[in-house]
Amino acid sequence: MELLILFRNQRLILHLHFKTNTVNQFLTISFSSIAAAIHNWLALSIPNETLVKVIDLTITGVLLLGFLVILCFFLGYMERKVAGFMQARYGPNRVGPYGSLQIVADTVKLLFKEGLTPKASDKFLFHLAPVIIVVASLLVMAPIAFASNFQIWDISIGVLYMSSVSSIAVIGILMAGYSSYNKYSLLGAMRSGAQIVSYELSVGLSLIAIVILSGSLQLSHIVESQRDGWWIYKGHLPIIISFVIFLIASTAEINRAPFDLAEAEQELTAGFHTEYSGMKFAMFLLAEYINLFVVSAIAATIFFGGWMPFHLGHWEAFNHIMNFIPGFIWFFGKTFFIIFIIMQFRWTFPRLRVDQLLTLEWKYLLPISMVNTILVTVMAIMGWHF
Amino acid sequence: MDFYDILFWILSVMAVGCALGVVLSRNPIHSVIFLILTFFAISGHYLIMNAQFLAIVNIIVYAGAIMVLFLYILMLMNLNADAEPQKGLLVQIAGILSGGTLFLVLLAATKSAHNEEINKVSTNVGLITNLGKLLFTKYVLPFEISSVLFLTAMIGAIVIGKKEPQLKNGEEHIA
Amino acid sequence: MNAIIEATIYGVFLMLLGLMWQERKLIWAISIIPACLSGYFFITSAAGTHEHEITARVFFILTQLLLATTIERKYASIVTKVLFIALLVGNIYEIKIHNNVPELLFNNMLRIEPSSLWFNLLMTGAAFIYIMLMNKDIQKVGNYVAEYFSLIFFILCGLYLLSSYNNLLMMFIGIEILSIPQYILAGSDKHNLKSSEASLKYFLMGAFSTGILLMGIALLYGAAHTFNIMEMVGMLHSNALDPLAITGILFIIIAFSFKVSAAPMHMWTPDVYDGAPTVFTAFMATVGKSAAFFAFIRLFHFSFYDLSEHWILIIACITCATLFIGNITAVFQQSIKRMLAYSSIAQAGFMLFALLAYRPMGMQSIIFYATAYSIATIGMFAVLVKVKDYTYDGFNGLAKKEPLLAFVATIFLFSLAGIPLTGGFMAKYFVLLGVMQHGDMLWLVLFALLMAAISVFYYFRVIMAMYFKQGSPEMNSQVTLYDKVMLLVTCLVVLLLGIVPQFFMLPG
Repeated sequence: MELLILFRNQRLILHLHFKTNTVNQFLTISFSSIAAAIHNWLALSIPNETLVKVIDLTITGVLLLGFLVILCFFLGYMERKVAGFMQARYGPNRVGPYGSLQIVADTVKLLFKEGLTPKASDKFLFHLAPVIIVVASLLVMAPIAFASNFQIWDISIGVLYMSSVSSIAVIGILMAGYSSYNKYSLLGAMRSGAQIVSYELSVGLSLIAIVILSGSLQLSHIVESQRDGWWIYKGHLPIIISFVIFLIASTAEINRAPFDLAEAEQELTAGFHTEYSGMKFAMFLLAEYINLFVVSAIAATIFFGGWMPFHLGHWEAFNHIMNFIPGFIWFFGKTFFIIFIIMQFRWTFPRLRVDQLLTLEWKYLLPISMVNTILVTVMAIMGWHF
Repeated sequence: MDFYDILFWILSVMAVGCALGVVLSRNPIHSVIFLILTFFAISGHYLIMNAQFLAIVNIIVYAGAIMVLFLYILMLMNLNADAEPQKGLLVQIAGILSGGTLFLVLLAATKSAHNEEINKVSTNVGLITNLGKLLFTKYVLPFEISSVLFLTAMIGAIVIGKKEPQLKNGEEHIA
Repeated sequence: MNAIIEATIYGVFLMLLGLMWQERKLIWAISIIPACLSGYFFITSAAGTHEHEITARVFFILTQLLLATTIERKYASIVTKVLFIALLVGNIYEIKIHNNVPELLFNNMLRIEPSSLWFNLLMTGAAFIYIMLMNKDIQKVGNYVAEYFSLIFFILCGLYLLSSYNNLLMMFIGIEILSIPQYILAGSDKHNLKSSEASLKYFLMGAFSTGILLMGIALLYGAAHTFNIMEMVGMLHSNALDPLAITGILFIIIAFSFKVSAAPMHMWTPDVYDGAPTVFTAFMATVGKSAAFFAFIRLFHFSFYDLSEHWILIIACITCATLFIGNITAVFQQSIKRMLAYSSIAQAGFMLFALLAYRPMGMQSIIFYATAYSIATIGMFAVLVKVKDYTYDGFNGLAKKEPLLAFVATIFLFSLAGIPLTGGFMAKYFVLLGVMQHGDMLWLVLFALLMAAISVFYYFRVIMAMYFKQGSPEMNSQVTLYDKVMLLVTCLVVLLLGIVPQFFMLPG
């Protein structure tokens, strides 16, 4: 039977021929076998190949969306709880046990709220903007490796793909700001545009550090290269620097506090989404949480080995014990750890001014990450990493 | 019809339609949005030809950076549909005639051109490994020389964009 | 190749000089790093390998360069003069070591021939004369003196690429490196609205023509399956020419006509040359234009020579239109600067004759014509910047006030008009001779002679104003002894070009 390939040279999630020998034989749970089974079943029961592809893709999409909705519920709850924890208060505690249904109540409220459209707005762009933002953040999910061999699209230039697709969100933000016909929205969009375009550079450069060390842009290869230890300690100082830069710059790129100038409440009401209400507003919220997750997942994959368990060089016994913890637990554990850090930022640092924001990027982060790139290159050539 | 053919037609219609939208829409912002969509369609074409790197770079550079700056400038200048100057009838007719002639010439050229079938599935030229190797072996000189071009552009940005520096007291005014 | 590297390094050096002069202490601090590394590698090289010694030298040179960039910025012009002499010496040296066989470099990206080296040398000479004449006036344009000089070096780098490219990609990059500094220089006078307008206009039109050029290259690639201009000859056959190739050639003709300001695409020229600061107009109209011309002729005489039946009539029509529009419009101008802009269009018409000529003659004559035209125009502009009022009336009575200035201006104008004993005459003679060998182009030659006669009218109007009209022209700046000597030297070169042209012809 022919290979199921949508885009050649990459494995699709529901892949017929996954290489059983390279799948971590030591990992106890992997989703790839389930995925393969579903695909096999479909291929046997439906004769039309194109139809199989379409159904495969549909299943993937629906699963992804479902996952994201649950994720956003969880992140919303987590954000409130972390905020409460940081400020020594309880956070939501009335709706449901420990306030766990609070976010459901919020969702219901948003669903039933009336969606207003300003009269003078550019209708087409106004309705399109939230969709573009959500789509952009959904697209970034594609190459993320949740577990061994469990990836939607293992594109050969995964790192580049993610940094390029995440930069599309800014178009949505600019559209939202422009079409609302509101000066606060426009100002917020402008700020956000300047912010994202400039901080993208640092994000890219800090990712490049790992690309240089692992010699590949493909996320599965990058994860595989961390079999004998995560880059964060294999690459020691330069990688720690680039991790810190990544954390700062990506926080700025997803417009979260302390870099939330685009929606600074005190100055701009709510920035680019001032005029949005109801479900369209919820989509902005959704996109924000997806972005938060994506950024943390990238950091976890690149610097902390993704689904790769905690391995130490060639200590086989130790590594073997670690392997008993499934890959997806490692992945989500690392991701949520980074999400937790980013959430703490929000309640720790005061918001920056616009000029401070740009100074931080162009005068500090960018030169540092450039020098750091040179350092990493020298390190890779000389073999100074572990 | 193959899966690729379907994709090809969708993308082609999207590319041509959006490109027409760029020219025809009255609002400059809409034009830019259409242009971005065109770039996406073209990136899709690159993907069909398995040129992933080109596709992604097309998005990063054009959709992600240049078009954002375009949007930015359009918003700052507050160009609206009515800001567009109306051309005279004569100019319009001349434009249509010359554009139509160009279109005819190109159409005739491509129609009678000798087409070769490209094996889409096995082509690997667009992958980053091959591109990188080519850039650093065969095309190393153009690759390196283009840095001079960027330097020039950088100097230009400084010369044109920066304020004339304030000279300190006692320092001779060079100008 | 050495010339390209040299020009680039000098450009970068001047750029750093311009950027870093306020950060001197920082540079001193930074230069410790390469100094230490250099020392380290020197020490290890004693025990170790050859590579370490080379690395050490590279770092040593880097240290020196960094330290050199901390020179006071007001010395930028002196530094530039020194660098230009070095560049000239480098060019001469390259001709000396060249053994008359085309040299292929970097996987056939460059093909260095005697003609390209000779063109490089003459153009560098013209640029050197330009720097010597206009140095003081360039410093008056704005504060970024070092950057202006750096841009001029980059233009030269583009010129060197265009004289020796062997690949359409290199040609494209060369044209861009040539054009972008010109867009910037056109807009360098920021207090002058006309200058900004010129820059914007030039940039937009230039970008558009670059787009057309790229499209032409793409179509040509579709037909020939190669970017190499030599391999292209074997791929394109005159009797069964791919329509894609014809379209591609047409597009390239259009794009190049824009770059050299030939007739239907000349609209930008008067505004840009008039609006740009006069000193930079002098450079753009001469060296910049000549480089584009050389690239044009190189491409058409190398790759499309055998296909000439397909394009020669188009070029002939363009030539005809360029001559007509340039000369006739120049007659009606009131400002000498604008007149010179139109005259540069007219001169482009003559230079297009080199494209119509037979192969070896075409290359010969374009090199000679470009040199004669460039030096005479640079000289004329050097006179122009000294005078405050650019109208004809502003020149009234210049001969009384500054007899030497008026004299050299007369010689330059003679050369531009093509009066015997000046470079312009010989140049016109050579280009027309090349076309005379084609029997069927006689009508064009006669038309060109007629137009040359018309051009005498507007060039002589300036001479009339200087010698036979009363008035006292206001001067922009004092004409110093240095200026006078330099102008006389330039004048001498123009006369030498006319009297002993064989010295400036391609040897062999």
